[in-house]
Amino acid sequence: MSATRIPPPQPAQRVGAAPKKPTPAAPTPDGPDLRSQLRAWLEAHRASLSDSLRRLARQPVGSFFTCLVMAVALSLPMGLALLLDNVERLGGSWQRAAQISVFLTLETSDSQGQALREQIAGLDDVAEAEWISREQALQAFQQESGLGQALRELPENPLPGVVLVTPAEVDKATLEALRQRLAELPGVEQAQLDLLWVERLTAILKLGDRFVFGLTLLLVLALLLVIGNTIRLHIENRRTEIEVIKLVGGTDSYVRRPFLYMGALYGLGAGLLAWLVLAYGLNWLNDAVVRLAGLYGSDFALGGVPLGDGFSLVLGAVLLGYIGAWLAVARHLSELAPR
Amino acid sequence: MIRFEQVGKRYPNGHVGLHELSFRVRRGEFLFVTGHSGAGKSTLLRLLLAMERPTSGKLLLAGQDLGQITNAQIPFLRRQIGVVFQNHQLLFDRSVFDNVALPLQILGLSKADIGTRVGSALERVSLSDKAEQFPGDLSTGQQQRVGIARAIVHQPALLLADEPTGNLDPRLAAEIMGVFEDINKLGTSVLIASHDLALIARMRHRMLTLQRGRLIGDGEAV
Repeated sequence: MSATRIPPPQPAQRVGAAPKKPTPAAPTPDGPDLRSQLRAWLEAHRASLSDSLRRLARQPVGSFFTCLVMAVALSLPMGLALLLDNVERLGGSWQRAAQISVFLTLETSDSQGQALREQIAGLDDVAEAEWISREQALQAFQQESGLGQALRELPENPLPGVVLVTPAEVDKATLEALRQRLAELPGVEQAQLDLLWVERLTAILKLGDRFVFGLTLLLVLALLLVIGNTIRLHIENRRTEIEVIKLVGGTDSYVRRPFLYMGALYGLGAGLLAWLVLAYGLNWLNDAVVRLAGLYGSDFALGGVPLGDGFSLVLGAVLLGYIGAWLAVARHLSELAPR
Repeated sequence: MIRFEQVGKRYPNGHVGLHELSFRVRRGEFLFVTGHSGAGKSTLLRLLLAMERPTSGKLLLAGQDLGQITNAQIPFLRRQIGVVFQNHQLLFDRSVFDNVALPLQILGLSKADIGTRVGSALERVSLSDKAEQFPGDLSTGQQQRVGIARAIVHQPALLLADEPTGNLDPRLAAEIMGVFEDINKLGTSVLIASHDLALIARMRHRMLTLQRGRLIGDGEAV
């Protein structure tokens, strides 16, 4: 057999001349400079990334369904959070339900009522204040109650002037404090607040927040399990390769790297799919919401997926994929000692 | 370069793989380790590769105590050793070039360096024209030569081979041994575990004979 000789290894590369603590064998006789080390590091990462992409592309259906499962798990809490945001936005119009009716004494004149409205409108916690005079109140009552004739026969108008106050914040404690403050104003007979609505709204929003948080935790756990199991299967399929890599001097981080890229790629695919599912789903739901809101005389419409939230979703999915893969490899790496 | 001092290996199930083994290997030496199945040849190689640790005695490789080596140090130790297996341990989804390039990729060499070194290694085992083929397309002898090329491509100081000619016919076995001798002439220490006594006798190198984990012979093969 013909054998072409290459120069023998330099003493620095030999085991016999190695320092007591083993160091990586020198790639070139003179040792690599920082630039070539950096280039080699980048090349190693590029190779791992392209290898992971190639492996995913080799099983397009399997890869797609893994991403889809992850995407569904991601889009559920994200979708609920977006819906909750929309409800909170809708809550802006519900603030009217939390209006405080400030009933003035019967002796209070229109000009005093107007002055009081201006004073109330100037308060910090008040978004809006509207003056309804005794006459306007009577007119409205006559129209809405159907008791017009009976009311006309009364000797005098029994209804007081009212200032309708729209609070700036829908919060039980703030509202109660405001109501008390308004009740103490001169010329005020009574300040009334329908707190039940506010309490219900606050409770619903808090419940929604908590539900979304719990669901997010559960689905994050599920995602980690999905990605962990997927990566475990990839590790099993590449057991021989990993054993060989370890035998020829591959470190744990070298073995781990392609799987981390794979996890991150699964996350990227899932994040993009989830964004797509959410955008399409909200758009599909919006038609029905607009029709329903229209029946109540509202022009409310669902907002889409904000760009920032979309990017956060993708970034979070990539991170989850990465962490899931890291946990899976860390768990199985010790089992992959060469046999 | 290698020093076994009363090295013993006892497995958790009580089986004794090696029993107070003591010998030395000089730098650049070529030696065989022989013995029947279960004699301890593979255990000896596994200890040198730090796949297992001795349970007694002291095993030094280039002054480094393999009984004390940390897990983090093991990959760096292995980068200085080339290893050839009886079953080749090739990756069948990678080309011959990529199989041979693996130790260099782990070392983080540039593409150009890898190309040059893989070319030289394949040339040394006469497989330059097979670089783009896959191991499944090669004969057993060729696969074994790919395994050798991978073991020598990073110019290790020590080459270990476990029954490298076990599956080969006598002509191919002699050819493979010729490759090992060429590598040894370049200064690499070569330690081959084999039970092919006829082949060993032809080579006329030092031979350690093991029996049930004990060293029962140390001298030139005749």
